Amino acid sequence: MEDLVQHAIEAASAKGVQYAEARLHTDSGSGVTLTNGKPEPVQLAKAKGIAVRVLVDGALGFASTNDLSKESLDETVNIAYRTAKASKRLVTKPIRLSKEKAEHANWETKARKPLLDVTIEEKLAVLEEIEKNLSPSVVKVDLPSRTLVLIDDITDRYFADTEGSKIHGVASRIGLLFVFTASEPGKGIIQRIGQKGETGGWERLEAWDLPKCVPEEARILGKILREAKQAPRGELDLVLGSEVTGIACHESCGHPQEADRILGREAAQAGESYLKPDMIGHRIGTEAVTVVDDPTVPNSYGFYEYDEEGVRAGRRTLIKNGVIAGFLQNRETAAELGVSSNGAARAVSYDREPIIRMANTFMLPGEYNDDELVEDLSKGVFIKTFMEWNIDDRRYNQRYVGLEAYLIENGQITNAVRNPILEITTPGFYGSVDAVGKKVEYEAATCGKGEPEQAAPVWHGGPPIRLRKVRLGG
Amino acid sequence: MDQAVEYGQKLGAREVAAAVTREKRKMLKFANDSVTIVQSWDQTVPTVYMLSERKRAGAHVENPSMDALKEVMKTLKAAMDITKPGEVESTLPKGPFKYEPVPHIFDARIPKMTDELVDLAEEAMKAARAEGARRSSGVLVTSEWERHVRTSAGAEGEDKGTDINLSIRAFVDDDSSGQGNSCATRLEDFNPKLAGAEAGKIANQARNPVFGDEGKYRVLFGPSIMAEFFDRIADFATAYSVDLGLSFFAEKIGQKVASEKLTLVDDRRMPGGINSCSFDEEGYPTQRTTIIDRGTLKTYLHSSYSVAKYGGALTGSAFYVGGTWCIAPVALNIVVEPGEYGEEKLFEQVGDGLYLTNNWYTRFQNYQTGDFSSICRDGAFEIENGKIARSVKGLRISDNMPRIMQSISALSKERKWVKWWEVPVPVYLPHMIVENVGITRATK
Repeated sequence: MEDLVQHAIEAASAKGVQYAEARLHTDSGSGVTLTNGKPEPVQLAKAKGIAVRVLVDGALGFASTNDLSKESLDETVNIAYRTAKASKRLVTKPIRLSKEKAEHANWETKARKPLLDVTIEEKLAVLEEIEKNLSPSVVKVDLPSRTLVLIDDITDRYFADTEGSKIHGVASRIGLLFVFTASEPGKGIIQRIGQKGETGGWERLEAWDLPKCVPEEARILGKILREAKQAPRGELDLVLGSEVTGIACHESCGHPQEADRILGREAAQAGESYLKPDMIGHRIGTEAVTVVDDPTVPNSYGFYEYDEEGVRAGRRTLIKNGVIAGFLQNRETAAELGVSSNGAARAVSYDREPIIRMANTFMLPGEYNDDELVEDLSKGVFIKTFMEWNIDDRRYNQRYVGLEAYLIENGQITNAVRNPILEITTPGFYGSVDAVGKKVEYEAATCGKGEPEQAAPVWHGGPPIRLRKVRLGG
Repeated sequence: MDQAVEYGQKLGAREVAAAVTREKRKMLKFANDSVTIVQSWDQTVPTVYMLSERKRAGAHVENPSMDALKEVMKTLKAAMDITKPGEVESTLPKGPFKYEPVPHIFDARIPKMTDELVDLAEEAMKAARAEGARRSSGVLVTSEWERHVRTSAGAEGEDKGTDINLSIRAFVDDDSSGQGNSCATRLEDFNPKLAGAEAGKIANQARNPVFGDEGKYRVLFGPSIMAEFFDRIADFATAYSVDLGLSFFAEKIGQKVASEKLTLVDDRRMPGGINSCSFDEEGYPTQRTTIIDRGTLKTYLHSSYSVAKYGGALTGSAFYVGGTWCIAPVALNIVVEPGEYGEEKLFEQVGDGLYLTNNWYTRFQNYQTGDFSSICRDGAFEIENGKIARSVKGLRISDNMPRIMQSISALSKERKWVKWWEVPVPVYLPHMIVENVGITRATK
């Protein structure tokens, strides 16, 4: 297979390109589903194909195919070259790539029990075990709709470019998705969509203790339905759980600090950013806020060692003590901004171009125990988890609607409250954080960006945090 | 496909549906008036769906070799053997069928275009600039597809089509933008200049926006924003979403779910329709399916499995669904029937209210109740006395989708196709007025 990639690189070089890269992917995945206790169709997905990207006189061309004959490969290279050359007339800003070290590497996510060794039967057994614990007698609430999906995939990638990089990487991922609708007579219905995901083998899933933790999510829905009162409105103090901290870090820190957005490349799709290239050093939050993105967190859902441009991945600090510290870069944006790539180029499959993506985005911990976050508050709300959320396409105006939430009264967490709504700007959010908890937790998610759309596995997370004097609406 | 069907039966499957789609696409992306990349794809994707006694399994194989497909089918059959039976027994539609080709869905000129894509993108950008835009970003996509289907129930067919789609977003400054869109199956119906001009005009009108106010408004929705809503509404109308508990249409067949002014159709037979085609991936002939008739929910979109489970008639809607890797009913060509008003008259009808042209990032609190919010994007305007009074920004639609559907009070005569990043399934629809729409915004 390395021969095919090398063949593509040589064919592109022969055409006199400035740069060429080729990636061969061999991906396989499976999905098993239980809906209301009944098995849905077992699903399998297999993909094998190659992508070629070339830079020709400042114009980028990309082509991909899953016909791996030499003839098809030559035609793929030819199309990438020809379309790039044809577009040159309308490239008013020639594209350059930052100079990076050529890498030779071989990496693989560790698995004590490889996913390929796990049968469909074993996967279904896990879901059936969870399902047993979802009965009303166990979770104390009726779940008229419940779906459990166990997904796994293994992606094997070989990358080479005209600058001498040759990188082979294999990542296996396991994940669980659950969708519950809980109903309580006279109290209405609520829904929870949850996800778990890590890289590694089957042992990662075994460590989640799914038969216990997934039904616990259902039990909480019953508690909300039975006990939650109307959430207060107006200006008050707020404590956000790790899950809410994480989604905020992803949406209003990670996304606006993607350099391709800042430079306008995604303007017609995922949008731009409220940040400008010269805003490194701009204060956006309090001293308490430091946010990083790190693809190298062991077993994380967004784990990788080298990005899809052959650049070694590492931790990048996005906000340091409240100040914009850096952007997520690929080789194209790095060249334009006069810096080095920090290895943020990801492509989810052989038929997608590498674009700037987050991996695992989270706020670093502070020094507060959970109790200390609430003990000073005379009146506030603790939003532990969220349901609906969104943010504008400049990543400035965001909204999180709480699912599991409680009133804080005189330093104590008291009764459950329903649907607290936080609508706030990005500087309003990070500028209101006055205390950060000690314990970081992560949530798995699937982040969408790019055209064609690329759904990338990520983690986001952080510790619980406290925000002062923010407005709750709804 | 014959081999796949035979192999599935040899493995012991009672029924097998196999399809293969070859698609060649080109995509030119531009930002800040400069081409950022041209992408091309040539992909052949077989899919297979096998049924045995109350058991189903499916696969999506992005590898055209028969050996790869056979290996996957073997694994699928083994998985079926060890899984417990599902809820109902379903059977594939009994063929053979005679497929009538849909007129005007193929244009041999479209796949041949390469240099011309640059010209068309440039034409759109120039039109946006002529309306006052300072820069534009967008994407121009061409596609040529061929699909073959063969089932053990006797269905067999071949189909092909093309489309060309431009989405352009023009900016006067960071806060003032507009979007235009043109999509067609034939070049004569494609108008990049009009799309560019529309984007530029909205961006220019949107200059110097002020923060809008929270409240309840009579809102005139442009086609782009309602297309995004109807993409979701049509998805909620699939039996698949109902089955998963992710639809506010559950148990609502025959009930009034919308204003009497709303008729919603999934029309796969529409001549020149962007996703029109002759058959689905179970080999059943496509049709024009009225989902909501003057406010009343008439049917869900169905596959053979969902008909077995919920009753009703097949709608020719069974396709492989992204993310599920298996056949399920989907909407493909969403059409909203027109109203009676010209554009100027619609503004007069609003009197005082808002005109919202685009949105993104719709998220639901609860798919069964339909509580949601969505962010306004591009031009948003206050209307006073039937005229645009000022450009506004920072608004979020915070409401309930069934209530929105019940509160449609007027629709325009003119309709247009909308398909872009946030509207993956094309929608052909008019402008429409909705009463008492909840609007919120961030204040800190």
